[in-house]
Amino acid sequence: MHEVAVAQRIVEALVDTAGRHGGGRVRIARLDLGALTCVDPESLTFAFDVGCRGTCAEGCRLEITRLPLVLRCFACGDEGPRDGPVDPCPRCKAIGGEVRQGRELRLTTLELDEASQAEGVA
Amino acid sequence: MTEVAIQRDVLFDNDAAAAANRARFRAAGTYVLNLMSGPGSGKTTLLERTAERLRGRVRLGVIVGDIQTRRDADRIGRHGVAVHQVNTGGGCHLDARMVAAALDVMDPADFDVLIVENVGNLVCPAEFDLGEHDKAMILSVTEGADKPAKYPLMFHESRLMILGKVDLLPYVDFDPDAAVADARALNPALAVLRLSSKTGEGLDDWADWLLQRMRQFRDGR
Ligand SMILES: Nc1nc2c(ncn2[C@@H]2O[C@H](COP(=O)(O)OP(=O)(O)OP(=O)(O)O)[C@@H](O)[C@H]2O)c(=O)[nH]1
Ligand SMILES: [Mg+2]
Ligand SMILES: [Zn+2]
Repeated sequence: MHEVAVAQRIVEALVDTAGRHGGGRVRIARLDLGALTCVDPESLTFAFDVGCRGTCAEGCRLEITRLPLVLRCFACGDEGPRDGPVDPCPRCKAIGGEVRQGRELRLTTLELDEASQAEGVA
Repeated sequence: MTEVAIQRDVLFDNDAAAAANRARFRAAGTYVLNLMSGPGSGKTTLLERTAERLRGRVRLGVIVGDIQTRRDADRIGRHGVAVHQVNTGGGCHLDARMVAAALDVMDPADFDVLIVENVGNLVCPAEFDLGEHDKAMILSVTEGADKPAKYPLMFHESRLMILGKVDLLPYVDFDPDAAVADARALNPALAVLRLSSKTGEGLDDWADWLLQRMRQFRDGR
């Protein structure tokens, strides 16, 4: 529900990073998005496209990698992906586990144009 | 093109602001609770009852977040506690910067306990650290026992789950055991108490829990 706020933070991070790397344009931004986060990829992409306008990231493509929920079973220690947080453990059928993956909301890499060759928006 | 690895948490700024708030609370010796729930689960009503109950026992302050209006602040303020309303103007949650701004008005040093009533929303508030010491949430029995499975994050992040509006249990199909079982699957350490702000059931347990957490915080636990 707070995709607009998240998109703004991403744009800020892109502008900041591009500035520190010679001021070129940002072409691609890659984001890890865990299954437990409350962020919808489609709304985020939309809010991101709007948020980039008028910045050095205008036209930037947001590549989102959805990271599935990974739990470590409280009962038997089995670790693996689960469809939902209260799905039974595939090994021992117990419910419940420590969240090992799924809370990520993390920019991983950016693709920048060199400042010298920066031209119009792709 | 050049690839730049940044590995940056998108909520990095929020986490930094939250850490600054937390340092401020510690310096002031103020225990801070982030109270969350879906819309209308009974946060403000509980805080009205809490204000009555703790009057003269601890110095209680409330920061209340809503998208619009200062109605909740007015309700709570009638019970003689200091209260500050934050309007998010569309934002579906409070973030650490909004709380930092509120602290210009609500000096933590003036309070033993500061409760932040978050925006009514079962989803987003759980994602944003405000610098609080604990998160607590209300799941009212009219909302359905499937909520922990459907909206897991808040249950995962909370230290206490209040089963609210239990006076309505006779009128709704709500299986408290199922709700608690799912919530504890997400968070085995979750404390649970049943409460009705209408009949007063559970209010003593709630006040005890709050004061105990305040003392534990002071003892450095
Ligand atoms: N029956 C019953 N009704 C309650 C109880 N607690 C609150 N209510 C009612 O539930 C409605 C919503 O209560 P609020 O306290 O405003 O809820 P809230 O969580 O602060 O709402 P938002 O701030 O808008 O998210 C009001 O009509 C309350 O009177 C309760 O324990 N039992
Ligand atoms: Mg309220
Ligand atoms: Zn298992």
